[in-house]
Amino acid sequence: MKAIKYFILSLILIVMVFPLVWMFRVSLLPADVGLSFEGFISEAFTLTIYYDIISSGNMVKYFINSTVVGMAVTAGNILFCFMVGYALSRYRFIGKNLWFYSVIFVLMIPVHIMIIPLYLLIFKLGFYDTYGALILPFLVNPIGIFLVKQYIDTLPPSMEEAARIDGAGELRILFRVVMPLCKPALAVLAIQVFLTNWNSFLFPFILTSSESVRTLPVGLALYQGHQAIDWPHLMAGSALAVIPVLLIFLFFQRQIVSGITAGAIKQ
Amino acid sequence: MRSRHFAGYLFASPWVLTFLIFWLFPLLYSLCLGFTDYRLLKPTYNWVGFSNFAALFSDRAFLESLKNTFIFVIGTIPFTTAIALFLALLIEKKFPGRTLFRSGFFMPSITAMVVIALIFTNLYSRGGYIYLMAEMLGLSPPENGFLLSSKTALFSVMAMDIWMSVGYYMLLFLAGLKSIPGELYEAAEVAGAGTLRKFFSITLPLLKPVTLFIIVINTIKSFQVFVEIFVMTKGKYGSSTAVYFIYETGLNRFEFGHASAAAYILFLIIAVFSIVQFGLLRQRGIR
Repeated sequence: MKAIKYFILSLILIVMVFPLVWMFRVSLLPADVGLSFEGFISEAFTLTIYYDIISSGNMVKYFINSTVVGMAVTAGNILFCFMVGYALSRYRFIGKNLWFYSVIFVLMIPVHIMIIPLYLLIFKLGFYDTYGALILPFLVNPIGIFLVKQYIDTLPPSMEEAARIDGAGELRILFRVVMPLCKPALAVLAIQVFLTNWNSFLFPFILTSSESVRTLPVGLALYQGHQAIDWPHLMAGSALAVIPVLLIFLFFQRQIVSGITAGAIKQ
Repeated sequence: MRSRHFAGYLFASPWVLTFLIFWLFPLLYSLCLGFTDYRLLKPTYNWVGFSNFAALFSDRAFLESLKNTFIFVIGTIPFTTAIALFLALLIEKKFPGRTLFRSGFFMPSITAMVVIALIFTNLYSRGGYIYLMAEMLGLSPPENGFLLSSKTALFSVMAMDIWMSVGYYMLLFLAGLKSIPGELYEAAEVAGAGTLRKFFSITLPLLKPVTLFIIVINTIKSFQVFVEIFVMTKGKYGSSTAVYFIYETGLNRFEFGHASAAAYILFLIIAVFSIVQFGLLRQRGIR
């Protein structure tokens, strides 16, 4: 019975990871070799293609763009989602419920509706085809706000009250008292935001046109458009997009899983 | 107290600005556009009432993309849900190697859609692995590969989508299974219930809220399928979907009014499911 279970599980595991293994295998082929069943093992394993994409072409540029945009968006979200989540959890101010409902509202808006108007807006604001287009609209996100608010709701307010009695200002309380307490939630948030941004295609695709600001997923999707498909190069570029994700997954699996189960509100 | 009001506003302002500029304004802007004949390189535009909407309902390309979108939703979600539940049940209990299997099943879900779509473009193509396997099984795959035939293109993308997302929903099912109190099973065992009986009388009914939630969010997501279509088929061979149509009309042919109207039609369809989602979120204790 146990053996059968492991057999089934292993079979499924192979089906689930094989395509990624395949990607790595193709990226390690010598450049001029086609793919075949037999070649999977018998062909040589070389890093030729990786040397190639690092020394020429735009892959490295795309990788750097993805990194810069990912870092900026993640930093923005840590700061702003935290501030907003805190305000919505602790303060009373006029229209607070309205703003909270605006968060829920945006959470539920299907993003496809934004394609045309965001494109036009970014164009008219003069951000089209700049880093600004890839960063500014995404500096704070409703899931993040929601995550932080829920977390702060569970914290007792006694520490803040004590600090307030000691005469600490609101900013000091925010960053020195509450923020350290929120580290676990902010870690979950940061990882989720970075991964989502790193993998995202739709908006980076529609809001840019030149190669100099293109992110890795966009670069990969459009690379295919040239001549005949050059699979080894394309798979090596894909591996560049996957390796950071695998590393993050390896070290922060717990945060990823808890982020998904806690924030499973929207895809 | 006044300063605390002020601080509250100050801290909430990043969201207030983002919401007004990047969400509310575009949303209303595109609603207005839907009633105009606005397009690129046209200095003026006119209000045209509902004529964009009327034109769409006799536009064969739009209707076909809508039909494909429904096929996509109806054809993937039952499988994704059932397989995800099956996987969750398989690895629910602790056993050696559990983390390895869970991570492996989940891996495709955190990989970029573009990358997955590229890999499968290769696997589905003539001479690709899936193609060769189909040949070995005695099926006769389309001559030019699965993505270049109108018989198989859309279904191939759907199969990939199921493969990719089961791990994600498996995690949600696992969380749901965890919340079922163990005493229920113990009591059922004392009463002499077998494995099947326990599954149908305890597990399944108690998973109903999670299942419903999973189906709703997956439905909303699947109605918007775009990236994999863009990468794998460019909407050819009968695989164009609603969002692909919107992209093509709006950003390739620059008919902004027409595309906005199409986007709002899809929006209304999705809104039905969003309202259900909102109800479910409320049940989960969102004030």
